[in-house]
Amino acid sequence: MKAFYIDLSVCNGCYCCQIACKDEHVGNDWTPYAKPQPETGQFWLGITEMVRGQVPKVKITYLPKMCHHCDDAPCIASCDVGAIHKRDDGLVIIDPEKCTGCKLCEDACPHDAIFFNEDLNIAQKCTGCAHLLDNDPEEWSVPRCVDNCPTAALQFGEEKDFKDFIAEAELLNPEAGTKSRVYYKNLPKKFVGGTVYDPKEKEVVIGAKCTLKDAQSKESFTAETDNFGDFWFHGLKDNRSYNLSIEKGKAHKTIEDIVTDKDLSLGDIPMEL
Amino acid sequence: MVKPETSKEDIMAKEDKAKVDAKADKTVVRGLALGGLLGGCDPSCVDVKNGKIVRIRPMHFDWKFDRKSFNPWQFKRNGHTLESNFKGMPSPWSLSYKKRTYSPNRIKYPMKRVDWDPNGERNTQNRGKSKYVRISWEEATDIIASEIKRIIKSYGPLAILAQGDGHGECKTINTPHGHQARLLEMLGGFTQQVRNPDSWEGFYWGSKHVWGQGLVGMMDPSDNCVKDMTENCDMMLFWGCDPETTPWGFVGQFASRLSYFWTQCGIKQIYICPDLNYGAAVHADKWIPVLPNTDAAMQLAIIYMWLKEGTYDKEYIRTHAIGMDKVEAYVMGEEDDIPKTPEWASKKCGVPEWTIKALAREFAKNTTSIAHYFGGSMFRGPYSHEPARLECILLGMQGLGGPGVHQTQISYGGMPRAQMLKSTRFFNPQLPERLTKPTQTTIRAWGKQLIPKTLIHKAILDPPLKFWGTGGIEEMVDDQFVEYNYPIDEKDGGTEIRMMWTDTPCRITCWNCGNETIIAERDPKIEFILAQHPWLENDCLYADIILPTNTTLEVDDIVTNTRQGTQHHSVMLQNQAVKPVGESKSDYEAVLEIAKKLGKENEYTEGGKTIEDLQKEVFNNMELNQLIDWKDFVKKQYVVLPTADDWEEDPPGLRPFYDDPEKNPLPTPTGKLEFYSERIAKHYPCDEERPPIPKWIEKSEMHDERISSWRAQSYPLLLMSNHGRWRVHSQADDIPWSREVITCKVKGWDGYMYEPVWIHPDDAEKRGIKMGDIVMVHNERGIVLCGARVWERVMPGVAYVDHGARHDPIIPGKLDRGGAINTISGEWITSKRCVGQATSGYLVEVTRVTGDMMDQWKRDYPDAFEREYDPASGLRFDAWIEKGGK
Repeated sequence: MKAFYIDLSVCNGCYCCQIACKDEHVGNDWTPYAKPQPETGQFWLGITEMVRGQVPKVKITYLPKMCHHCDDAPCIASCDVGAIHKRDDGLVIIDPEKCTGCKLCEDACPHDAIFFNEDLNIAQKCTGCAHLLDNDPEEWSVPRCVDNCPTAALQFGEEKDFKDFIAEAELLNPEAGTKSRVYYKNLPKKFVGGTVYDPKEKEVVIGAKCTLKDAQSKESFTAETDNFGDFWFHGLKDNRSYNLSIEKGKAHKTIEDIVTDKDLSLGDIPMEL
Repeated sequence: MVKPETSKEDIMAKEDKAKVDAKADKTVVRGLALGGLLGGCDPSCVDVKNGKIVRIRPMHFDWKFDRKSFNPWQFKRNGHTLESNFKGMPSPWSLSYKKRTYSPNRIKYPMKRVDWDPNGERNTQNRGKSKYVRISWEEATDIIASEIKRIIKSYGPLAILAQGDGHGECKTINTPHGHQARLLEMLGGFTQQVRNPDSWEGFYWGSKHVWGQGLVGMMDPSDNCVKDMTENCDMMLFWGCDPETTPWGFVGQFASRLSYFWTQCGIKQIYICPDLNYGAAVHADKWIPVLPNTDAAMQLAIIYMWLKEGTYDKEYIRTHAIGMDKVEAYVMGEEDDIPKTPEWASKKCGVPEWTIKALAREFAKNTTSIAHYFGGSMFRGPYSHEPARLECILLGMQGLGGPGVHQTQISYGGMPRAQMLKSTRFFNPQLPERLTKPTQTTIRAWGKQLIPKTLIHKAILDPPLKFWGTGGIEEMVDDQFVEYNYPIDEKDGGTEIRMMWTDTPCRITCWNCGNETIIAERDPKIEFILAQHPWLENDCLYADIILPTNTTLEVDDIVTNTRQGTQHHSVMLQNQAVKPVGESKSDYEAVLEIAKKLGKENEYTEGGKTIEDLQKEVFNNMELNQLIDWKDFVKKQYVVLPTADDWEEDPPGLRPFYDDPEKNPLPTPTGKLEFYSERIAKHYPCDEERPPIPKWIEKSEMHDERISSWRAQSYPLLLMSNHGRWRVHSQADDIPWSREVITCKVKGWDGYMYEPVWIHPDDAEKRGIKMGDIVMVHNERGIVLCGARVWERVMPGVAYVDHGARHDPIIPGKLDRGGAINTISGEWITSKRCVGQATSGYLVEVTRVTGDMMDQWKRDYPDAFEREYDPASGLRFDAWIEKGGK
């Protein structure tokens, strides 16, 4: 069975995947796999950009989202006319000729992956470029988006060939419980970072021990300031409340009520040594 | 639209696999990067079906060849290996290029401005305002030929200005720029618009005086640096550099792969720039935000720290550099009583004192190279020669040329050498002169009379001009000590220009002083403006006759991908993919039509050489028969030049100079790194903007663009401008699939897609600006409408707008709706003696545009607001065609 494998740690946000989908499907009619996609506004594969943190500790995460080709696909169940089917290779296809435009599938999809084409009165979504895989296998073993990806952030293939990837992977919406066939690595977790400096000497503080304590679970994390006086805590859970203590020699500083409802740069933190 | 040939009956409902004819009728290869100058791309394949482009996809280098035949290279560090992925890595706009070919903004036939009459009233004041009517090629070329003859007879040939420089599509025979210069030379000469090194200003006008000629002033040779940096660097400073933006235009995305690999190897990547640029967004281990065009202050403070703490290579300086004592006297304050301390620098550059100190120490302690991919804002501002020269001093103080100490353009230079390749410079010298001649118009000053591109508006509005150095991209450093005049002496044919012939109609949006340029282009002195271009945009709107040219997908050609940055060098036979759109012709053919009317057809075509003749000449000159015979090349359409067997032996960068400066001197007067330039001291003893040693220049007669200026009371933000992520200068601003990316455009409340201005939430709050608002970016020089991107990707105190957005004049010369930010850029040039452009690091204010303000403009300029507009691709061709016209 085929699946998609997305490693966000090497996604540079070039959008070549999103553009590949448009290049293949806008203005080209691949019935019965798919009718043409509208010129703009539909994202059978779409990038969401997340700006995380505050100046000067900011990261961008690019998150490619697409049809999950679920094994328990709510769209298939929702379709009254049997226009949506699952293939033996795992891909889920909406038959554009059977679709009556009732929009039930669009509402049923928990991944926001189905789009409605007002002009053609049909629901549309990612086909995994099955028209290419089926009809031109010499040229095509992966969908257009995967071929366009310059860094192999986006891959496609048999699950048995991606066992290591799957072992480390997460799902984007596990709570949907739809048995997704899109596996993600390095989905963003919250971070807290800052720079510690000595306001008297006007120097960064190197080697300060930073301890971040989860107020609820008492779980604690440690980091040390580097040669720029920077500390980073990565991989934190959402919406937790933390206390931070910073120590170097006799100097000590605490910051309370750090809430990870978003990624946080605590800025330049003065600590007199 | 491609229709599948399979009917519904063929489909077996229960079987997964339906039959669809997805195979292309033909597949052709293309270099679709937009640097032009004869090639240099990550290759793509174009699938064509029923005469239409179906898809564009990366070419796999091993499509028709065995990988082993490429002799693939490898880089290694700490147990990690990087090798080619054997695939082109084109940029997103290369991969959506069919939208360029089929753009609704394509010029489909020759046109004449409706109220321009060559035999009567020319109405030059209406350029940019009045519309166009369709004419035939016959009529157009008749008018053009008669105007050229008239102007030559009345004023002499030098009254015609050839604007024939620029980037563009990668072609060789039909290369997009400079054919008119070739023809005009046959007619007795022309005045040349000399293209300044717009992406390299600081290096060109600064670094050349420290380490010699360089590659447009950047460190050269840079051969084999990528391997050396991979193996030796602890830290890379991406100083004003964005490896996720600029490489897209000129090659593709290999720099991205390399950056990820360096992270894997443990090489720390520090980004120093006002914005969290696209490279910093994904690769930075640390981002140090610095105010636009204040890097020189931080560099001086780093030198201060090294001098104070003794953390630099004193022995190297003794044997490899001159003038350290003078630099020391200035930095320590002996010269002007101001020690250039981190505290001093912090106030100017906005970086905390403690961070400057930490950076200075990390730089001294770790093996460090500095990365640029040219084009960053840091080297495009007022006095940009100063940060560029200071960078040479920083690298020199840490042993430039030693293991892992280089200035690098990441992969644009320094990749493994390919067998058979004689040069990796901008344009390929192995090509016949007949083919390289047009591109000379971009890189050399070869016209009889010259005007630097940065001074075109002054040449028209305020002649005569004096300038020192032409700014020609490949001209030698000595040229900067030569005084030039415009017009030249009458006895040499000197005369003011009366006609402009552009195949580069982007002066307004890509160069300095856009609004003054508009005023100049409407001056009655300019009797005739001729433009040839595929798209109706920018300076085309000020032309009197417009000829439709076509895109690379519509012509036969051949391309030598000899420039670096791709994983493998190649030569590609670019067969025509689709028929020309409308009545368009290639730039070469368009000029040929005019040559015919002037009796120069035979000379222009070199006795009627065909495209195939020229393709074969390229094949032969490249000596490709060593790899493949012509017939097989025609069949396969491309050939990869294998990596040389002994590439690892190539000395990296300036290593020979590092090892033995006496035997391997630099091309400077002393053969050493000249921190102090005796040449500058001798020629320009009174130049306070570019003194013999680099300094911090607060302001001068020419520029008053610092936050310390009284102007900052009205215009408190520093405008930063870079090469666009979604454009190459002005190219590709109409691709609907990039325009819907959030960093490309901002949809205003009126439905118009505005060019984004990035501002920090603190600055926005003070001004009552919210994400997505329509705002005006303005100063005394005019107003540019933009869409607000309020976010943490830019430091407080900065407004960031990329140059090159498609000009949409509401009030020509005053108010632009398209986001052409250079219309309000600095009034002058880099500095008095340097004709570079200063289009980043100047003062502006950003103000929210209210509904009332917009309504007032709509009442005052209804025509401008009624132009046909399509949010998906922007302004359309039809908007400028006279309704009811032919």
